[in-house]
Amino acid sequence: MDDNVLLKIDGIVKTYPGVQALKGITTSINKGEVRALVGENGAGKSTLIKCIMGVETPTEGKIEINCDGKWESPKNAIEAKSFGMQANYQNVNIAKNLSVAENYFLGCLPRTKLGTVDWNQMYESSQKIIDKFQLTVDPRATIESLPIALQAMINISKISINEKVRLVIFDEPTALLENEKVVTLFNYIKELKANGVSVIYISHRLEEIMEICDTVTIMKDGAYVETKNVTEVNKDYLISKMVGRDVADIYNIKHQEPGEELLRVEKLCGNSFVDVSFNLRKGEILGFFGLVGSGRSEVMRAIFGVDKVKGGSVYLRGKKVSFKSPKDAMLSGFGFLTEDRRTDGLALSQSVELNVNIYSYDMISKASIINLNKERSRAEDYREKIGIKTPSIKQCVNNLSGGNQQKVVISKLLCRNPEILIFDEPTVGVDVGAKDEIFKIIENLIAQGKSVIIISSYLPEAMGMADRLVVMAEGHVAGILDSEQLKKVNEEDVLRIASAVYAENNPIVEAV
Amino acid sequence: MASNTKNLAEQRRSANMKTLLMRTEISMVLIIGVLFFAAAFGTKNFLTAYNLTNILKQSAIIGVIAVAETYIIITGGIDISCGAIVGMSTLMVASCQSSGIGIFPSMIVAMVVAIICGVFNAVLVHEFNVTAFVATLGTQTILRGLIKVISNGGTVSGLHKSFTSFASGSTLFVPNLAIIWLGIAVICFLILRYVVFGRNLFVLGSGKEVAKLNGISIRKTTYMAYAFAGLLYGIAGIMLAARINSAVPTAGEGYETNAIAASVLGGASLAGGSGSIMGTVLGTLLIILIDNVGTQFGIDTFIMQVITGCVIVIAIIVDQLKKRSSR
Ligand SMILES: Nc1ncnc2c1ncn2[C@@H]1O[C@H](COP(=O)(O)OP(=O)(O)OP(=O)(O)O)[C@@H](O)[C@H]1O
Ligand SMILES: [Mg+2]
Repeated sequence: MDDNVLLKIDGIVKTYPGVQALKGITTSINKGEVRALVGENGAGKSTLIKCIMGVETPTEGKIEINCDGKWESPKNAIEAKSFGMQANYQNVNIAKNLSVAENYFLGCLPRTKLGTVDWNQMYESSQKIIDKFQLTVDPRATIESLPIALQAMINISKISINEKVRLVIFDEPTALLENEKVVTLFNYIKELKANGVSVIYISHRLEEIMEICDTVTIMKDGAYVETKNVTEVNKDYLISKMVGRDVADIYNIKHQEPGEELLRVEKLCGNSFVDVSFNLRKGEILGFFGLVGSGRSEVMRAIFGVDKVKGGSVYLRGKKVSFKSPKDAMLSGFGFLTEDRRTDGLALSQSVELNVNIYSYDMISKASIINLNKERSRAEDYREKIGIKTPSIKQCVNNLSGGNQQKVVISKLLCRNPEILIFDEPTVGVDVGAKDEIFKIIENLIAQGKSVIIISSYLPEAMGMADRLVVMAEGHVAGILDSEQLKKVNEEDVLRIASAVYAENNPIVEAV
Repeated sequence: MASNTKNLAEQRRSANMKTLLMRTEISMVLIIGVLFFAAAFGTKNFLTAYNLTNILKQSAIIGVIAVAETYIIITGGIDISCGAIVGMSTLMVASCQSSGIGIFPSMIVAMVVAIICGVFNAVLVHEFNVTAFVATLGTQTILRGLIKVISNGGTVSGLHKSFTSFASGSTLFVPNLAIIWLGIAVICFLILRYVVFGRNLFVLGSGKEVAKLNGISIRKTTYMAYAFAGLLYGIAGIMLAARINSAVPTAGEGYETNAIAASVLGGASLAGGSGSIMGTVLGTLLIILIDNVGTQFGIDTFIMQVITGCVIVIAIIVDQLKKRSSR
């Protein structure tokens, strides 16, 4: 009777000090089923995944997987792997200082007859995976040197190494991926399904769930709500069940009539971009879109004084500036939120309170003495305002769910309250309700005359929020769409601009 | 259903109990208390004024060093050179005084030299990107050599009377050295809690990239941390000279082990980003107490060394277990 069932999740409870992350989850997944898991930030999705994979031991309850008729319960990650379970965790966890190929074959390096590592075979097989997933990367490249989105993709493609998979889990795989790569991922999921492999898929992008999943399980505050066939539900239904209220069109914010020019960037050249020119006006939201490797984040890093500028100039209110360090840029009224919150955004081992204030201690201190009341009240305010879910502001941010960590990063930038706010992928891993809140805050900011730059690889967001959209391709500005044009074009048009290939005789390319 | 909620409440309470016990400071106070009472009732010489003041005096010097070491450990570094800097400071204050320089100027000289040693560490760590362990190991070796060269391998004595009598004296039954220690500990505690520099230490310890991108100067923080630690080592060296009424070339040898152990026992993690002054003060007391109680019970000193080593290892294991359970 159970024959068709692959995974039984039976009454899983998980408590952490001060938090009950899971309050008894029971459900089962069939062979070849693609199951979505949705819920607000901190609902317990990632925790459930860790319990399934044996990475965390549930406080109560049991996980069982059907290994050809024999029911097994994995006690740790290695056992889970041997039962054919694979997971792609929310925090990209690959060995950062090893090469792509080594990561693919970690723990099962191919050997030559002599017993040494067979590098040739390893690189060959790796190239096959790379081709299958249509990545442009050298198998010898170290992970560290790659953009985070590409790292995420390598993490995903790593799963295809193992032949006897039964269950593959993806925890927000598309958070950093561009459209094209999402398609690649979906094709891979379809292939898995066709081979009878079950998939658990977590995402805050509900349209993806409608597209790729068969069934969807809704969770709220650690509790199981219900499981439905995807055909029976729509986006609004899911949102109302998750958030408990209706969320209207989140991109529908009040834009401002842009004022005078605040920032002008002229022919800026840097590590992986050339001749980038654009300007930013007061009260404006400038969107940046581009595929991975298009150089959009690098441009911002260079302006902000993180990376070296190789040429060109930046004018702030008509005055030429060049920042030697992020601190310089910060003191001149810039605020920059990097895309990878875990490597350079958050002090992971520190409290929520410290991290909310980390960017602006100078603003709440006199002669270097911190006003502890302000420190606490700021943290409490933002916890309230954008709903950072945590048992207390003293909690270590590493223990927060992914989306809640992102909310902390956003808060830290808002605390600084700079004139120009640069958000690189602001809503990665943030749930619909919180996105709505964040966009409301941005609406407020421009109403106060601040200027905002939003970099996003999620087109609906980039197009929905921007007054003007800068589209980058291969390190160049491929086009700047003004608000009139933005109204006329659709996603495909923008994608076409973003994937424009520069002609051989283009002088810009020669300069690279 | 009702029993289910009750069960949950119980679970939460036991979880709270567990976190309470997990608090390093509280478990340390317990251990110190147990040791204290065991020795008080088990031996006849432990609970004497002489022995108790002695414990405090011994703790004071290690205690000051340990507090400084905690700062360095919070930034994600480690300082092996502290014992040698203490030795250098001891030598400076003693040779200045024996050559007729006044108490106050001689102390200034010792402190300035110690700060320079700290800055030297910072130069190696920041400018040349040497890992803290290797950098301070180098500094330690250089200083130990210098000490022997300057002192010609001999003992320097002839310190001012009022200088040494201050160290052996007490105020309201508390040894003066212990008062200095606690004063320094309180200041360091306040810096960590109220001053931006204190926050920066923790951020730096959580990752250099994090510090940089959040507008914190890695250079300034590193220099300040090592220079400040140098200053405290200098003070500890002065205290040591006053206590033993001379400077011997081996002064301060092996202090680094105790200082690091006290920090780690007190909850500092060698991975950086955590540490507490309260914990370090208790850690220092615990280490000195274990040694003293062992002697009182007549345990062989070699065996005592093994026991102290085991305590440190256990502390590190507990630290690891705590991290695992909170992950
Ligand atoms: N190691 C931990 N220690 C303490 N609390 C934790 C720990 N891990 C998770 N939590 C808490 O458990 C709850 C569920 O977290 P989880 O990461 O499963 O959420 P999620 O549904 O994946 O959210 P998101 O959409 O933001 O990724 C959160 O409130 C979180 O704060
Ligand atoms: Mg999650």
